Formats: sequence, structure tokens, C-alpha cells
Amino acid sequence: MTTRREFLKATSAVLGAGALGGLAPRLAFAADDATAAARPTLVTIYLRGGADVLSVVVPYGEQLYYKYRPTTAIPAQAVGDVKGIIPITSYFGVHPSLEPLSDLLKAGLAAPIINVGSTHPTRSHFDAQDFMERAAPGVKTITEGWLNRYLELTRKGDDQDFRAVSLQPTLPRSLRGQYPVLAVPDVDGEGVMGAFDQMYPCLHNGADQPAGTPGAKAGAAPAETAVRDAITDSGGQSIRKLRELRRILDQAGKSAAEYPQSGFGRQMRDLASIIKAQRGLEVAALDYHGWDTHAYQGNANGDMAGKLADLSASVAAFARDLGPRFGRTLVLVMSEFGRTARENGNNGTDHGHGGVMLAIGGMVKGRQVYGQWTGLDPQTLYERRDLPVTTDFRLIFHETLHQLFAFDSNKHKFFPDYKHNPRPLGFLNAPG
Amino acid sequence: MPTCLARNRAHASGMRLWHGLALAAVMLAPATALHAEDAADRQAEIRDKILSIQAALAGQGTINAPVTPAADSPALGAPLSDRPMAIHVLSRMTFGARPGQIDEVVIQGWKAWVKQQLDPGSIKDDELDSRLEQYPSLCLSMANVFDRYRPAYASDPPTPEEQKKRNELQYQVRRELRESVLVRAVESKRQFQEVVAEFWRNHFNVDQNKDDVAFLANHYEEQVIRAHLFGRFEDMLQASAHHPAMLIYLDNIVSQRPYSPYELRLIERYEMNKYKPRIVAALERQRGLNENYARELMELHTLGVDNGYTQNDVTELASVLTGWSAGWDKGGAYGFHFREDVHDTNARFVLGYRVSGKGQERDGEQIISYLAQHPNTAMFIAWKLCRYLVDDDPPRQLVERVAGVFRKSRGDLTQVYEAILLSPEFASSRFYRGKFKTPFEFTVSALRATGAKVENAQATLHALGRMGQPIYQCEDPTGYYDTAEAWLDPGVLIYRWDYVLRLANDQVEGVRVSGEFRAAWNKRSDKELDEFLSQTLLPGAPDARTREVIKQARDRTRQLGLALGSPAFMQQ
Repeated sequence: MTTRREFLKATSAVLGAGALGGLAPRLAFAADDATAAARPTLVTIYLRGGADVLSVVVPYGEQLYYKYRPTTAIPAQAVGDVKGIIPITSYFGVHPSLEPLSDLLKAGLAAPIINVGSTHPTRSHFDAQDFMERAAPGVKTITEGWLNRYLELTRKGDDQDFRAVSLQPTLPRSLRGQYPVLAVPDVDGEGVMGAFDQMYPCLHNGADQPAGTPGAKAGAAPAETAVRDAITDSGGQSIRKLRELRRILDQAGKSAAEYPQSGFGRQMRDLASIIKAQRGLEVAALDYHGWDTHAYQGNANGDMAGKLADLSASVAAFARDLGPRFGRTLVLVMSEFGRTARENGNNGTDHGHGGVMLAIGGMVKGRQVYGQWTGLDPQTLYERRDLPVTTDFRLIFHETLHQLFAFDSNKHKFFPDYKHNPRPLGFLNAPG
Repeated sequence: MPTCLARNRAHASGMRLWHGLALAAVMLAPATALHAEDAADRQAEIRDKILSIQAALAGQGTINAPVTPAADSPALGAPLSDRPMAIHVLSRMTFGARPGQIDEVVIQGWKAWVKQQLDPGSIKDDELDSRLEQYPSLCLSMANVFDRYRPAYASDPPTPEEQKKRNELQYQVRRELRESVLVRAVESKRQFQEVVAEFWRNHFNVDQNKDDVAFLANHYEEQVIRAHLFGRFEDMLQASAHHPAMLIYLDNIVSQRPYSPYELRLIERYEMNKYKPRIVAALERQRGLNENYARELMELHTLGVDNGYTQNDVTELASVLTGWSAGWDKGGAYGFHFREDVHDTNARFVLGYRVSGKGQERDGEQIISYLAQHPNTAMFIAWKLCRYLVDDDPPRQLVERVAGVFRKSRGDLTQVYEAILLSPEFASSRFYRGKFKTPFEFTVSALRATGAKVENAQATLHALGRMGQPIYQCEDPTGYYDTAEAWLDPGVLIYRWDYVLRLANDQVEGVRVSGEFRAAWNKRSDKELDEFLSQTLLPGAPDARTREVIKQARDRTRQLGLALGSPAFMQQ
């Protein structure tokens, strides 16, 4: 069995960081000074569509699971060409497509959190995603995403350009808001940017420093000038940041790990390059689409299995690529809700309630399944059909911000209408 | 219902409305830095704003009596003179001036032009009318759309060819609508009609990507949105509430009365049985109450978010609207269908208004009528229209005055538009070119400015998707926002620049800049070009930087692309 120490040792060896045998894991991270000084990085991966929790974390010790799911259950052991689960406890296992993550799971650097979700009962994708990404179930008065609120509340004058990124053309809701976060267009922008860079200078030095721009207080000055300056500056900042990003990625050289040849794999590779370039990346968010498996979901094989394989191979490569820096990185995989406990008539599952998160990173206290499992008995299912929510996702967000960034969400009334849970899950160590 | 639903959302009454305004104001501040103190100031500002509007709402007299703005508006600035005023009405009441149009409005006089646009029937537009014949789905009944674009399969199971054909037809029905919206915006002479169509399309948003809305949105556009643009608000509201596209989009078709205790016992008895009596199987398919539409009906369509209703009102209204569904009747027509079997028949209270529960769909219609006439609805619609037509942060006295017209005229939309367009606030220099174009406004205005013809809209529709505003595909029931704050994200301008550089080169597939415009553009001397820019294409005088960059560019084609991608062209 691989231990946490051995895993990190192995990744260090790949990078030639020297032998770390015999040291406590935190000391292993501390061996690299630059790494120790760096702010930790949070990477959220959002599985859009409501990922089926019972296919990711499989209660293979539960007979009802197999009764509910004649065609979509993952067998405890391989049957013909259908692979069996990878056990984590005597009751739970994970989908065989998570094989690339099994070293991390065994080393205690990855852990699932089950029965996670929202206090709001909606089964609408839009509402559930929206409530979760703003971390405000049922409340529509908060318009900024939770990650953006964190960035804005902790904004300093010397924030780096790449404090937050999303390597996709439109920002996920969690990153939208007052704090400027770069979305990365999927066009090769240099030809276009080269045409306009003279017309769109940055009117501010850096992301934050006003450089004595014209115009008085908002409202007093004619809107014409104020709007034009805002447009000009927005264009200028975009050009500057996108060019800088291109430089970082060009200079990154070959990755220290083999990523899948998929869009998601490339995004994770680029993300690792930004982290390794030490540009102060604190928060990154990525979307992964296509988890709304109403029909022909498959079991250990099939469409969802393929997506899980791509996801886990990409994350595993990311972990290897980062080497010691993985000790200060947390990957949090989430989805808007889980799906019905029983499969439907189309070999798929419908929108449900309680879901799953996966925490992967050097600070994760693994080798266990977090969250309160309530079984699959019809009496304990939510509305007799879905896993109930026993862990409010805001508790996980709270612990994440607290452990990674020493940010106390309670002090800031960060989550509206949220009563703080005094009993933490404790799934994270403080960064070493 | 689960108790966790009983959340009282009234605590932040009016918050979102004025919070949004304050954000917009902050966005326009010259410095983007928001340090802790600034943030505190902003909070105080927002609080003041909320308090003042709440005070206004508390004293109903303030709302009912039209307020004279003059004394209350020191910052309004001088009224615009003739030419800037022509530029201004063309900015706000069209999707951008066509070549020569500014002069036309100056000659006609802007007020006369405005009045003409307020009466679209008086404007002849044969060319567009014949062009629209390319989109037959717009004029079909919903049943005929299904017949034509989703024909029954001939074989069972369907052959791959049949399935392919069906996919193509579904793509076609969606494309016809998307393309017609774009073509009308570019080519219509009844420009204000198209401008308000865009407003109401977003106000009563539906998304083509949701289930059968793909087939129903065409009829919705014609019969719900366009049929009532210059009519009464309540008629549009009732039409949307009765339209299958809306009922499907916001899940009302799956909303059903909750189980009775007897039914619940029945379901439990057969819980683990593989074979169930038919009645139990039918009950199990029942989904219970879905509040989605009821909530948006109050939050987005009438009162405004948290503006005077509680979660309890949402649940009560959802109960009243159970059974509002869509389907086929015996005569083979498709449309609104009231399902008595899933309709809740208890007496219900919504905002204190009681319905007996025995009136079938009349109960819901009465409440919708009550909502349409609610003073908060008048304020909300007035505020949204003023934000769209005047400024991201519209003056309060204008909003109140317009809300007064809305109430007095019982939601006569033509009178409401007129109250805005002929107001001193609308003509104020303070708001001149102060709106940031949405991607749709930007794209259409570039096509109009260059006299471009859209023969095939595919590439342009695709570009709009990349800019973040695909037509009839907004997932969010809020529709697309029209404020700068919503669109001025880092990174997204790249797609606008990319589009206009290609447009200037005639490299957008299916689109060509008009020969006449191109010839005139190429023929001008440098000095004439500079004058044309500041007088016509980028009115209000582009900044020196823009003029210099355009001057230095290598050729006229490049100069056109640069002018269309300049900051000044993004304003209206």
C-alpha cells in the first residue's frame, strides 16, 4: 500500500527534488523554500449536469444499491469485461475509472465527501448550480460568486494578475463578480490583439493601481467619458494579461507528467504551468460538462465511465506534474446535485438531491469517506427517491477557505442566512 | 411541503434592484480599485439608496403623484442640441444608425421621428416582409410546427436516415427563429419595435435548448412577444403565462398538487414491489409542486426580486397554477391545456388576494391580472425600461413618473415608452453615449453602420454565441442583462474585435459590407475620413488615441475594422 509519504517521495523523485524518506509529510513540502512561501492554490472543478454520486462513490456493501440499479450498478468484483469497484472501505468503493487516482487515494491524499448538497430542494440545474456557485441557496440578492466574493474581500493593492483564472472563454458563476478575473478566449488572439493594443492602453497600472485617470466621482461626470475609459481599460487589461499568460505557457516547457489528450487535460496542464510559474495563483475554476445522465448512463463502461476516466487521469497527471507544490494545492470536484437512487426506465438516472465532492491534494486527510451516510432504505431517502443532504456544501467551502487561506467566513457574514456548523468535517490539514 | 422551503425572502425588500444600480454606478467610477474603505463607502451608499427608495415606496403618494423632476435633478445637465439628439435617439431607439440616417432624423426633427417609431404600423417595410417569408415556421400554429419539423417516423424503430432527417428539421426550426431575430434587428425600418422586442424577449425569456421549447419558441416570439409590443403589459403577461414555451421552460407543466395522505399510503404500500397497480404507478410519476414558474412570475416578470412577496406567496401561487400545462386537444391542436386532475382546489392567498380554488384556470388568471396591476410591478417595469433606454442607473424621479404613467394607463406600453422618450431626462446630455452595447447591440450596429447584408446568418449567430449572447438560448430566466456591469468582463472584447476585423474584410461568411458604403469609405481623403468618423461613425468625437491609431493603419479595410472595434463604437 502506498503511503502519503511514499507518494510525495515518488513525485519528488520524478522532479529530482532529492530523497525525503523518513520526514513527516509537511517537512517534505517544506524542503522547497519557494513552495513553502507560496500561497496555497484552490482548484474547483464543476461537473455540470448533476453527477451521479452512486456511480462515483459506490456503496458496494449495500444490497439495495444493486436492487435499485439493474443496469447501471458498478459490480463489487469484475464480471466479464465489466470492471469492479476500487474498494476504499469494506462498504464503499470508487468507480473503476478512478484508477488513475488510486495511488492518491491509497496515500491518503484524496477523499470523497458524500451526501453533500444544498439546503434548497430544487432539482433545476440552473437554480442548483446558481445557488451553489453563489453559496446562497434560495437567496437571489447576492449576485457575485463565492470565489469572487472571497477574492474581493481579501483584495490588496498589490494583487497579482493571475491571482484567479479560469482557462475557459466564459467565467463560471463562482468566479463572476466585482473582482476582475480573466476568462481565456478560445481564439488565437494575437492577430486580433495586435490590431487593437495601441487603441486600448491600460489606464491603470497593474490590476489595481489607479493612475490618475480623468473623470470625477461616478454620476457627476458625463457617462460618455466614464464609460469609454472603462471600455478602454477593460480591453487594455485583457490584452496585457492574455499576452502574459501566453508567455507563461510558452516558457513552461514540457510537463513533468503525461496528460490525456483532451480539452480538460490541456486545461489542467496549463493550470499546472501557471502554478509552477509562481504567479500567485490562488483560485482557479473549471467546468466539465455532460453529467446529466438521464439515459444510457452505463456502468463501469459507457459514457459516464469515459468522462470519469478523463477527469481522473487529468487530475492525477496534474498532481504528478506539480510535484512538491501539490502539497499546497487543493482540487475540489463538485456538482450541483446527485441523482435518483433508483435508475429510470432508460438505463439512466434523474435529478436528485444529495451529491458528492472529491477533495484531492496534499492537505487532504484521506483514507476515509467524509460525510454522514444514511443508507438507501426508502425511509431514509429524501422524498423516498434521493440521497438526503447531511452536509451543507457551505461547510466544505468554509473549511476550504479557512484552512487554505486563513479566511474566516463566519466573521464576514460570507454566506447569507447560514448558521455556522460548530462541528467541522476536518477533511483538511493546514498547509505546511 | 418540506419545511426548508418556508424561507422568508422578504427580508431584503428592494435590495437587488437598488444594489444592482449601485454596482452599476461603481463600475463607472474611473478607478477599478475597491479598497476596504471604498467598499465601506459603497455599502453606505447602497444602504442610503435602499432606505430612500423604501421611504418612497412607503409613502404611496410619492409614487401615485407624478413628480416634477426639475427641482430634484441638479446633475441632469443641458438638453442635447439637434444633431447630438438625433444621434442619441438613433443610439437608443435603433440598433445603430444606418449610413445617412443621422441627417435624415435631423431634417425630419427628432420628435416627429420618435412619434413615427412609436407607431410602427405607419412605417412601410415591404422588403423585410418578403425576406421573412424564408422563415415559414414563424407563421405556423404550434401543431403545424410539430407536424412539419418533427414528423412522425414512418418505420418502427426509426431508421438512422429518419433520425438524421429529424435532427436536421429540429436544427432548422431553431435556426429560422434565431436568424429572423437577427435579420429583423439589422434590416427593419421599424427599429424601435425591434429594440423593444429585444427588451421583452429578455424580460419573458425562454430558452430554445429546453426540451420542446425548440419547436414552440417561434410561435412564442410572434404571438406572445411581438403581438403585444405596443399593447398592454397585462396582455403580454397573460399570453406568456398561457404559452407552452413558458410553461415548459419554467417547469410548470410538471408542477402538480401534493399527494393526499391516502395517496401517500398507497405509494408506500407498493414501495418495493416490482409490479404496481396502474394508479400507483401513475401517482409515482407525479412530481409534486414545482415553484419555478410561480417564483419567476413574481420575481422577474412582475414585482421584482423580493419586492413585496414572501416564500409563502410563491408556494401559494404555485398551488394556484398547478395544472397549467400544455398538450394536444381532441381536434389535433396543440396549446395551453388545463389539467384538472393535477390542479390544487384549495382556497389560496397570494399577497393577501384570495382565490377560492374552485375557479379552475380563472383563479390563476385573476392573480396574474392582480400582479400586472400591482404598484410594485409598475415601478419594476418602469425602472427596467428606463435602465434599458436611458441609463444603467436611471434617475429615480424619472422611474417614478414613468411608473405613474404605467399605473394610470393600466400598463399601456406605448404610453409608457413615450413617457420615457419625451422626458427631459432622456434628452439630457448627462446620459449621452453612456450605455455600453451588449454583444447583440454591438454586432447588429456594426452590420447596420456598414450597410451590410446578411445573406446567411450562421457565422454571425455563432459569433454572438462566442461573445456570450446566443439568440434565444439564454439559460437564465433573467434573460440577458443590458448593463455595462454584466458585459464588461476581461477577455470578452477579443471576440468583438475578431468579428469586426473579419466583417471589414468581408470574411464573415454570408455577410457583405454594402458596395455603396465600401466605395464611399475607400474614396474619402484622410481628412474626410477623420471627419466622417467623428461626425457619423463614432459620433461624439472619438478620443485622440483612436483617431491616431486609425490614421496610422495600413489601408482603408484595416481602418474600417479598427473603427468598428474602437471604444467609441462600443458606446451608445
